[in-house]
Amino acid sequence: MGRPAHPDAMKSSRPSPTRMAPPQMPSEYPMGGRYRAYTLFDATGFVYLLVGLLGVRVVWALGDGPVAWAQLQSELQNPLYVGFHLLALLSVLFVGVRFFRLFPKAQPPRIGPAKPPPQPVILGGLYAAWLGVTLLMAAILSGGLL
Amino acid sequence: MKQWLLRLEPIIWLLFGQGILLGTLLLTGWILVVGLAIPLGLVPAEALSYERAHALASSLVGKLVLLALCALPLWKGAHHIRSLAIDFGGAERDTAVAGCLYLIAIVGSLLAIAAVVRL
Repeated sequence: MGRPAHPDAMKSSRPSPTRMAPPQMPSEYPMGGRYRAYTLFDATGFVYLLVGLLGVRVVWALGDGPVAWAQLQSELQNPLYVGFHLLALLSVLFVGVRFFRLFPKAQPPRIGPAKPPPQPVILGGLYAAWLGVTLLMAAILSGGLL
Repeated sequence: MKQWLLRLEPIIWLLFGQGILLGTLLLTGWILVVGLAIPLGLVPAEALSYERAHALASSLVGKLVLLALCALPLWKGAHHIRSLAIDFGGAERDTAVAGCLYLIAIVGSLLAIAAVVRL
């Protein structure tokens, strides 16, 4: 435990009758030890936001006609775009691996009358779906299918 | 504003969760081909010629996939940046920060809907 945490980071909206010790920021936060993955997971939000906005631009250009589409394809060859997409791919892989590892552990013990499948089955299903959707998307978009 | 954010939290969390799950499932293949393989010449550009891309995208399934692929990552991004802002700057400005970020996600989602509808 190192420096004090931001005093309002976890402040309750109502005063609590329970006495609590002053909050302390862990010394490893934000980029040390196991906090690194936590912070990076949140930071991928910037990449996802930009990927979503860029996706809107791509679809918009497709709706604008062949000239706008050709211009956009030419723009995507710019090294800045290629570099960004490389970063986006790393971000997506990182988010997928981290989230899919967490997902089975976050299941409730029961969903109504049914019990969720064992954790390895959920994890295997998620990875199979990820691989399947990725291969299908890649095959369709690259002209290998449809 | 804060009350609105609290009321909308179930919807925001739904979109955020789907942004991680569906966004990640769909974005991997998309980024691999559209963002990297075609620009780097690993896949011929004719694979996504205007005619073929338009035919794929203007089907109902194509529109739904593109909508999910564009809109859901915006919510994942907005919510995680909000979380990062609270961790680094505290909750004092959370209402304003969250309002701005979700506004970007809302406007982006509406633009995504408009973009797929006009295909």
